[in-house]
Amino acid sequence: MTTTTARVAYRSGTFVRTFRKVLPAYMYLLPAFLVMGIITFYPMGFELWMSFTDYGLKNLRVDAPPPDWVGLDNYVRILNNELGLSNFDFFRTLFFNLFWTFSNVIIHVTLGILIAVALNTEGLWGKRIYRAIFILPIIIPQIIIAQVWRNMYDPDYGAINQGLAIAGKLFGLLPELFHIRWIDQVDPPIPGVPLPLSFFALLITNIWLGWPFMTVVATGALQSIPRELYESADIDGASGYQQFRHITLPLLRPAMVPAAVYGIVVTFNLFSLIYFLSGGGPLRQTEILLTVAFRLVNEQRLYGVAAAFAVYVFFILLLITLLTNAITRATESYAE
Amino acid sequence: MKRLWVLLCFVVAIALVSAGCGPAATPTKAPEPTKPPATAAPTKAPEPTKAPEPTKPPAAKVTLTLWHSYHTGGSEEKAVTQLLDAYRKANPDVTINALAVPFDQIFNKWETEVAAGGGPDMFTVPNDNLGKEVRAKLLAPLDDLLKGQLDKVSKAGVAGMTVEGKLWGVPGIIKAVGLYYNKTTVPNPPKTTDELLKLVKDGKKLVLYQGGAAYFNFGWFAGFGGKLADEKGKCIADQAGVADALQYLLDLKAAGARFEPDNAKGATLFRQGQVDMIVDGPWQLGDYKKDLGDKLGVVPIPAGPKGAAAPLSGVDGWHINPNSKNKEAAVKLGLYLFGAEGLKAYADVAGDPPVRTDVQTTDPLVKAFADIAAAGFPRPQDAWFDNYWGPFGDMFTAVMEGKAKPAEAVTKACADMNKANKIQ
Repeated sequence: MTTTTARVAYRSGTFVRTFRKVLPAYMYLLPAFLVMGIITFYPMGFELWMSFTDYGLKNLRVDAPPPDWVGLDNYVRILNNELGLSNFDFFRTLFFNLFWTFSNVIIHVTLGILIAVALNTEGLWGKRIYRAIFILPIIIPQIIIAQVWRNMYDPDYGAINQGLAIAGKLFGLLPELFHIRWIDQVDPPIPGVPLPLSFFALLITNIWLGWPFMTVVATGALQSIPRELYESADIDGASGYQQFRHITLPLLRPAMVPAAVYGIVVTFNLFSLIYFLSGGGPLRQTEILLTVAFRLVNEQRLYGVAAAFAVYVFFILLLITLLTNAITRATESYAE
Repeated sequence: MKRLWVLLCFVVAIALVSAGCGPAATPTKAPEPTKPPATAAPTKAPEPTKAPEPTKPPAAKVTLTLWHSYHTGGSEEKAVTQLLDAYRKANPDVTINALAVPFDQIFNKWETEVAAGGGPDMFTVPNDNLGKEVRAKLLAPLDDLLKGQLDKVSKAGVAGMTVEGKLWGVPGIIKAVGLYYNKTTVPNPPKTTDELLKLVKDGKKLVLYQGGAAYFNFGWFAGFGGKLADEKGKCIADQAGVADALQYLLDLKAAGARFEPDNAKGATLFRQGQVDMIVDGPWQLGDYKKDLGDKLGVVPIPAGPKGAAAPLSGVDGWHINPNSKNKEAAVKLGLYLFGAEGLKAYADVAGDPPVRTDVQTTDPLVKAFADIAAAGFPRPQDAWFDNYWGPFGDMFTAVMEGKAKPAEAVTKACADMNKANKIQ
């Protein structure tokens, strides 16, 4: 009996000690939790509730009657493509969204590392100026980038077609050959590949937009690689490629993998560029899940369906993040 | 020390929360006039000037906020600015704040702000979303305030503001698209689709908009005997006519007509005289006249083999916010802006066709647009029409880009529309 009492007293003493130890941490976190609760978790919960209702314009007023509970109907409507958006196919859009994401991020990371390594060359003149210039695409608002590139892709007056026409002239090609409808051409430019020309226009723009960030991250990581490793490799007779393959790349990995995961999430949700450059067209072929969700609210006023759509997007992104984490162990620290 | 930090954190957290949940800030007391600094040889400090006694606001003092979506620097903005200046002068007790909101955002902004209990007192838009907003209780009913005020408004004008038998706005401008032409290069404008096709085949340049095609090209359907929907909203466009209209548009394209996805570019080409004809609305009249002057002409979209074309005709109105505390003053301003004097200014400055029968416009082009709109197809205000735009917009793109044949494209568009409307 005495032993048991002592054990309980000991345990409760441990609990109190642990509680006292962690209390300051929780107190520090409390304001953030409260703010997050109001601006993040409450809207998320509300959205989840909306996704099971027929919430629409009629329910928008604060004094409006509550929407009807429709269960999983919104989720089923999305999968059955019953949204009033013609040429919409959920799984086609999802597949395009994934292809768009990974094709972009792979190019961003590869280019980012290669350019960072090139800029890290010892004795390279004007390194700081290059680095400052390359950062420009990151700081220009995306809506402006989209508008500028849209003008550049104009078939009649755009800089890209005009540039191609000038280049073509050198080879004796007629300027009419370069009346390329970058955004509006429906037929795929590569036979057998179901991707419209506007996909490639978007890809070019987003490569321009995306590699500088990866270069910045890679440059930072390169600075932290000890010089001695390369000197030792030199003494051991390792070639430049071998040094890159066995020293640079493995030591860049801890910085580049989280950057790539971040790039995946950002590119997956790259609303502004797609909406303002291609408008998801032609015929919804470059629509991503987020632009569809926006249309459901902004054009169709189907708030309930849009909420269900957002829930799908949440779980898809969660799955991608978990898979990427599992494969790359991006969020594990060295200590573990 | 640790405890002290914990206590401090707790106090800060509580302070933050209570600040966030606290009542709205109350006006702070005006600071006392600062005393003049003391100097070695003190001069007599000037008496602090007495603040003027706040004059009591007159009882009828009203502030009205209105939204419009007229292009900055455009002729419609010029017209409304002129009118508002005149109204302010005549009614010094009314303060008017006018705000331009881009057209693609104005409906959404109104709906969300009004639903949340706020929003401006009034806004002017075409009746694109009238039915939807009425059903969502986002507009104030105006039957009482407009009693006896719309005697001089055409039937089409009143009908354009009526949903479920009630009035929901002050009607003003009636709009539908017509065929603009350059008199220098097209001395005899086409009356029929055959004449238009011949002109294009003869080398005259025509631009039709592919952006917003479901609106701009709606008028061709009726000329070929096409009808969008029956009285219950079931799409019947696949039964007859619409596919023929699409085939005709394809023939026009094959003959050299340009289907322009970038509407602004199409309009610029016409303004620069690089294009002879364009299908566009009266909102462009002021700007087209600036560039083409007397060379500008307007006729209805040419009649087809089965009858006259019937473009969608919409009515612009001033709508009042149900949350507004100044509904009466807002309606009074709406009746001025879209009254005889206001609509005369809209017609003369911007070329907007008025719905009032007592507004005599001297401009034959404005008159032509008024006739075109009167003969148009009144925009339906029923929920089923919301699902017209997506399927039929894509139908035009698919056909014009050669991705689908007219008949199969119409069948698909109709099926999509009925599916979205849950109609078998």
